[in-house]
Amino acid sequence: MSLNSQTNFFEFLSYRADEIIRLLFEHIQITGFAVLLAILIGVPIGIFITRKEKCANIIIGIANIFQTLPSLALFGLIIPFLGIGITPSIFVLFLYALLPIIKNTYIGINSVDPSIIEAGKGMGMKSSQILRMVELPLALPMIMGGIRISTVINIGTATIASLIGAGGLGDLIFKGISMNDSYLTLAGAIPTSLLAIGADTLLGMIENALVPKGIAKVQRDG
Amino acid sequence: MINQKFKIIYTVMVILCLGIILSGCGKKNTIRIGHKNFTEQRILGQMFALLIEEHTNYKTDVKEFGSTSLVFEALKNNQIDISGEYTGTAYAAILNQNELKEPQAIYDYVKKEYAEQFQISWLEPIGFNNTYTFSVRKEIAEQYNLKTFSDLAEAAPNLRLGVTMEFLEREDGLPGVKKVYGGFEFKEEKALDPGLRYTAIAENEVDVIDAFSTDGKIVEYNLTILEDDKQFFPPYFVAPLIHQESAKNYPEIVEVLLKLKNQISDEEMQELNYKVDEKRIPEAKVAEEFLKAKGLIK
Repeated sequence: MSLNSQTNFFEFLSYRADEIIRLLFEHIQITGFAVLLAILIGVPIGIFITRKEKCANIIIGIANIFQTLPSLALFGLIIPFLGIGITPSIFVLFLYALLPIIKNTYIGINSVDPSIIEAGKGMGMKSSQILRMVELPLALPMIMGGIRISTVINIGTATIASLIGAGGLGDLIFKGISMNDSYLTLAGAIPTSLLAIGADTLLGMIENALVPKGIAKVQRDG
Repeated sequence: MINQKFKIIYTVMVILCLGIILSGCGKKNTIRIGHKNFTEQRILGQMFALLIEEHTNYKTDVKEFGSTSLVFEALKNNQIDISGEYTGTAYAAILNQNELKEPQAIYDYVKKEYAEQFQISWLEPIGFNNTYTFSVRKEIAEQYNLKTFSDLAEAAPNLRLGVTMEFLEREDGLPGVKKVYGGFEFKEEKALDPGLRYTAIAENEVDVIDAFSTDGKIVEYNLTILEDDKQFFPPYFVAPLIHQESAKNYPEIVEVLLKLKNQISDEEMQELNYKVDEKRIPEAKVAEEFLKAKGLIK
């Protein structure tokens, strides 16, 4: 394993800073878009299947299949349909992000204590109001949990998309492997890891901001 | 109150989505260059980019792909504008031919077929021939008395092969070699990333690799190249390829890319590869220094 003995890792990083930052932004774009799509589509689907229990198994089953297919295979298989580059990559990552989000939305809403829903009905709430004011806020921790899992997984999986020309931090990792240069590999892997940690922390802060104080108190104090 | 929050969040997310889409759209005057996943191709990709940015007002976007066929598909669908391809690869692996042997004949053939079948134009060759070889460590060559491919065909059952994934599948790769030479039944066959082959042979994990003749590492690792005595491999002269739509939309870049005609010899390319692989100089820098030295950019 030959490293350039003339530079240390930090000198290496600053030398390549432009490239790393550019790839970091590409990476954020690809994963961000995929996760956003998964939230916009996955949460409503999750809500829908709590209303139509018969569909629940089928839909979760389908999302499950996408999760179990190896991501490398899925990136390759999608090429005849969506070509190469960013579009198929986002689509594949979107499919991967769906399962945790749908499942957690479904479980989260279903685990709301029925007596609370009864209370809401008793107060004269319509079902849309119950959804917005009772079920979603109470299910929020579970839903956010699904979103956080999806995001962290996607950030890692997006590195594979480099193979089909999507760009992103995976480029550095593949180059590093190809040239047996661990600095390059780390220059790709460490930002990816930091990005995942950062995204997870940010989502945690958003979760704290969203959960209404009353519910948070109940959850804390029991 | 909660109602408000969700509305705000939903709106923010939609705006973010649009933002991401739009930032991806603002790429009108950007020339998209695709290249394969080994050093020489990365250097060429950077050269194309540097030349275009120096001599035109266009920006460039250089993307790496995991294989020959991925770059080809991208170019064919005009998802990239430019790539660099080897005549032998186009002839044998893409067009599945094996009759012709002479370099000019093969170039003319692929140029015609690519234009007719794929709307892709072959520009002038850059000069060097980067052919597949079989390379072994010096000791192995001595131990088994290996000078030619025919020698290797016989000695194969004692040896471990480490090659690129493509080589195992392409007709101008191992399958074709077996047909023409017979033998070539190795003790072990491993598929490796192009760059890792050299690590593998140096660390005695494999004995034979499909080295590319302009790889810088052949010299560095002191490998012995065997002679293709039945002349199985076609010539692999590299040239820039451009999709005809892109040539129409961005006519200036054709002229710019023609500046590379006959500019790089076998030895020069090997030296450039060596600088990246062994001296660890980034491809962009190596490309820039070379183009400046040749007076192709300032």
